[in-house]
Order: sequence, then C-alpha cells, then structure tokens
Amino acid sequence: MDTLQLLLNGFAAALSPGNLTFALIGCILGTLIGVLPGVGPAAGTAILIPITYKLDATGGIIMLCAIYYGAMYGGTITSVLLNVPGEAASVVTCIDGYAMAKRGRGGTALGIAAIGSFIGGTIATIALVAVATPLSTLALRFGPPEFFGLMLVGLCLVTGLAGRSLVAGILMTVVGLLLAMIGIDPVRGAPRYTFGVPDLYDGIGFIPVVMGLFGVGEILATAENPVRDVVRTNLSRLLPNLEEWKRSFGAIMRGTGIGFFLGLIPGVGAIIPTFISYIVEKRVSKHPEEFGKGAIEGVAGPETANNAYANASMVPLLTLGIPSSPTIAVLMGAFIMNGVTPGPFLFTEKPELVWTVIASFFVGNVLLLILNLPLVGLWAKILEVPYQYVCVGTLLFCVLGAYSINQSVFDIWVMIGFGFIGYLLRKLDFPLAPAVLGMILGPQLEKSLRTSLEMSAGDFTIFLTRPIALSLIVISLVILTVSALQLAPKEIREGSAD
Amino acid sequence: MKMGWGIATSCLICVFGLALWLAVWGAAPLNSRPLPMRDALGPGPGFFPVWLSIIGLSLGALLGLQISRQPAEADTRSLIPERAACARIAAILALLAVAALALDPLGFRVASFVFSLLALIALGIRSPVRILTFALAASIGIFHMFYYWLKVPLPIGPFDYILKPLGL
Repeated sequence: MDTLQLLLNGFAAALSPGNLTFALIGCILGTLIGVLPGVGPAAGTAILIPITYKLDATGGIIMLCAIYYGAMYGGTITSVLLNVPGEAASVVTCIDGYAMAKRGRGGTALGIAAIGSFIGGTIATIALVAVATPLSTLALRFGPPEFFGLMLVGLCLVTGLAGRSLVAGILMTVVGLLLAMIGIDPVRGAPRYTFGVPDLYDGIGFIPVVMGLFGVGEILATAENPVRDVVRTNLSRLLPNLEEWKRSFGAIMRGTGIGFFLGLIPGVGAIIPTFISYIVEKRVSKHPEEFGKGAIEGVAGPETANNAYANASMVPLLTLGIPSSPTIAVLMGAFIMNGVTPGPFLFTEKPELVWTVIASFFVGNVLLLILNLPLVGLWAKILEVPYQYVCVGTLLFCVLGAYSINQSVFDIWVMIGFGFIGYLLRKLDFPLAPAVLGMILGPQLEKSLRTSLEMSAGDFTIFLTRPIALSLIVISLVILTVSALQLAPKEIREGSAD
Repeated sequence: MKMGWGIATSCLICVFGLALWLAVWGAAPLNSRPLPMRDALGPGPGFFPVWLSIIGLSLGALLGLQISRQPAEADTRSLIPERAACARIAAILALLAVAALALDPLGFRVASFVFSLLALIALGIRSPVRILTFALAASIGIFHMFYYWLKVPLPIGPFDYILKPLGL
C-alpha cells in the first residue's frame, strides 16, 4: 500500500468522532498547559498521561500528541501578555510579542502566532509524510553500532547546545545515564544499584523524574517570585492588516523551513529554531530597528518555527525511536506505556496506528487554529487566575500522575526529591534536558554498545569499520569540539589568538 | 553563585564516587554486590556504570577546577531566596511529603483535600470560603474524574463508607 493510501486511511480513522474528540481534548489541555506559567510541556504531558490510561493506544497517543503541540502554542499567550514564556520555546516571542501587547496590538500578535503556527505545523507535517517512510526504511538497515552512533549524536547535540558550560552539560548527561543504570541490567538481567529495595528493581521511573525536574521544580521556582503582571491589551482585532500580512508571509515561510530542518536533528531542542528564526528575520528585515519594539516578523517567524519544529521532531521519534527533547521523551514513554515502541519497525508492524497519528497532526493543527483565534480572550482570562490555585492544582496533578503509573507512593517520593534537585539545578543554571535525555536513552545506548561489542568479541574497531557508525561518531566528536570552542572561556580564546 | 556551583559539583563528585565504589567493590550492608566488568559473552553489567562513574568523576574534577579559577565577583546572585520565598518553598515540599505519607492510609480524597487546604493557606490565601471551595472541588473533582470516569486505581482510604453515600 502506498504512502498516500495509508495517509488517507489514517485520515479516515483520525476523523472518527472518538479520535476527533481526543484530539480536541488534547488541544484544549495542551493550550491550557502552555498558558499556565509553571507547567512546561514536558511536565504537563507527563502529568496528563493517566488521563489516557483507559483509552485505546491510538486515542491515547493522539491525545498526548495534541497536548504536546497545543502546549507549544499555549506558551505564546503568556509570552505576549505576561512577558513570561509558558514554555522554553516561547522565550524569544516575549521580545516582540510583549512589545506589541504594550502597544495595544496583543490580539494581532496572538493572531499571527496562531496562523503562523498553523501554516508551519501543516507544512512540516506534509514534509513528515514525505520523509517518514524513506527514513524508516533506511533505519531498518541500522545495526547496534549504527544505533549507538545515532544516539551519541543526539546526546552530543543536547549536551553541546545545553547551556553556558559544556562540561556541566556533559556531566548532566552522565548523571542521566547513570540514573538509567538503576534497576535490572537490560542485557544480562543482573540487578544494579537496587540495594534490595523492590521499588528499585524496575529502575527509577522516568515520568516521576520528569514531573519532579520540570513540574515541581518549576512550581518551586515560581513560588519564589509569584508576582505576575498581565498586560491589558486589545484582543478584539486578531487578524493582521495587509501590510502586516506582507511582512509576515516571508517570516512564516522561513520559520517553517528552519523549524522543520532543525526538528529532524535529534537533540536540537525547541529553543534553537526560534532563536535562529528571530536572528534571520532581523537580518533580512527592511526594518531591523523595529525588532525589540514590536516587529510582527519577530513573532511570526519564531512562532512558526516553533510549531514546525514540534511536528518535525516527531520524525526522529517515529522513524528512529530517538526522542529529540524532554517532551518528546515523555511522549516516547507514553507510546511505550500504550504498548507502542517508536522506531523503524513501527511503520511495518503498526502502519494503521502510525498513519492515524500522523493524520491527527493535520487535524490537530486545524483544531488549534479554530480554538485559538476565537478563544484567545478566554485563554487570556485564565492568566488572571491567582498563581496559588494554579500551583496547588498542578501539584495535585503531579502527585496523582506520579502515583498512578505504578500505584506506588515511592514514585511520589522520587518526584519530590527530583523536584527539589530540579529547583536547585535551575537556580544554578545547570541544564536539565541532557539529564532527562540521558535517562531515557541510557538503556538503549548501553544495549547497543554492549551488543555491538558482543558482535565483535569485545573489539572496539567495529565502530570504525562500519561507515555509517563511523560517520555518526565523527559527527558527535565534531559537535562536541565545536561546542567546546564556542563555550571556551574568553580569555583562552584571546590567549590562543595572541 | 560560584559557591553554589562548587557545592553542586562536590555533590556530583560524591555521587559518581559512590557509584564507582558500589560498582567495583559493592557494599554488603547496603545489599549491593560488585558488578562484573566482563563475562563470557562480552562486556558485563559493570561495564557501563564503571566507565560512566570514571567519566563523571573526571568531568566533576574538571568543572571544579574551572569554578575555582573563576573570579569571585563574576556572579553575585544569591542562591538562597528571601525569607518569605524560603517559607513558601519549604511549605510546598513539606506538604508534598505529608500528601505522600497520607495517601495510602487516608485515601486520595482526604489526603488531597488536606494538602490543598494547607497549601493554599501556606501560599497566602486567606478567604476560608475560597480555600474550602477549592480544596473540596479539587480533591473530589479529580478523584471522580480519575477513579470513576477514567478508571485509574486510586487509594480510597478508610472513610469511603462516609464519603460515598454523600456523593463524594
């Protein structure tokens, strides 16, 4: 059956009343998560996993994916009206979105963000359809050494782009990998670091750790400085005028390209495409002096790149089984909990499911546009809910979410512990994403490394004799070297220049 | 902030040191056994943890060196928040711990009601009507949604015989 036929079948399933309802609920919940400062998409998606327990796998995954891209849009609203990004990818929108709101054009900023997100998301999904099958076919030829190389690239990218210190980034990746060692060894079945505690035999739950680091940690950070100042702006006029359309069109198209191509690379993260889009728009604009004071391209480009990235980042997950960000890692966990293992075999073993989910991305983008343009006033009202209620409600969901995975109070303790650690690491500017990706990729990385070494009777040259594996390892080293040079202390660079 | 980075790095070095010690030598009182580096088929269960611990220790030492060479005045932000913020953060953590302890013995409804009630007070809400309304709606609403509609198993606790007839 060809791709188009599979996609049409997917549309038929995605448009069934049940799946349409799940996508709608997911979009609403996702936007709500994005709107609420203190609940990022990673924690929000993790918190809402229990909602999908009783749904069939397709419905559950459709809802969780809708929550993900809904949250990516929802973050825009707080960026524009509060100057507080609802999620990390909306940081750059604060610059011109908030400036537009202060000038009474908040409605237009939100309108162009919704339209850009729709266009970017839809085009990226079309491109996803085009590349998914060839990529998964290529990935079927990968053996353990190639998968090891691929995961190494992902981890190096996350580490290299993570923060102000490369050493701290790598250190956090190693922490995540070490956390993944707790439990039963995936190759031989030997217990490691379990201390005879039954709760540790299954390892430390990934979801409680994410809820702690990103949910409780963020709530604690918000509790430190809870003052929010919502800008009163004109939300009645959402559609841009002709001049603004002209200025936004190019930005939207460029944002789509940037978001899509960076979304294909595991580990880039959602912030990078938005910043690159912003820089590109400022460079190509005829009015660069307006940037920072409310330039519509400064909202249209990054917001489009954000949603194009969100849809494109599904490509490495669905075709290679590699999550490209903490939120996608949560989604991967949810896929596995629903009995679906993302990766190249997904397209051959469960084509109905995967194409229905892809079709639901198109449906979700339309739903988001319908929800966000007319309901923008309602979302803005939600911002006025006092933070105390948001904080307590979110924490209740965190407790419930952590408990309900295994019906275990131990997971709540894990969540609380990692919540406090996450808060401290956040304060110190230690990057959290590498730790989370290290934790989710740890078992696969170890398994592929050890299986590779078993294939070669312990000879490490297996990675040098296979061209794809070698190329991927070289790419990893290049990424780390470039990151090291970029992040090297100024005095070292100046010294070497002298 | 420099001190904070120093403390965090020291903690990470301790964690990696402990992980290496446990992997190589084990610890009988902790019911932990040494993990073999190799076995008949190739790399053993200790291969990855040992190498990760060594890499972690090396990076920790490197980061420690970098921090020690940073000028003291580079970042003057304080790690410890002001007193009121500290109180709010401590209250949230303490109440989460109380919720974890109370969940199985008291059930989700009672534990989450008590948590919401105390957390709202600790975070500065003073209206008894609002506190009670929110705590009741949140605890009962979430319980009904997950336990009855979504069939997620939650602890019902010893007060079910009172709460259920009341429609709670």
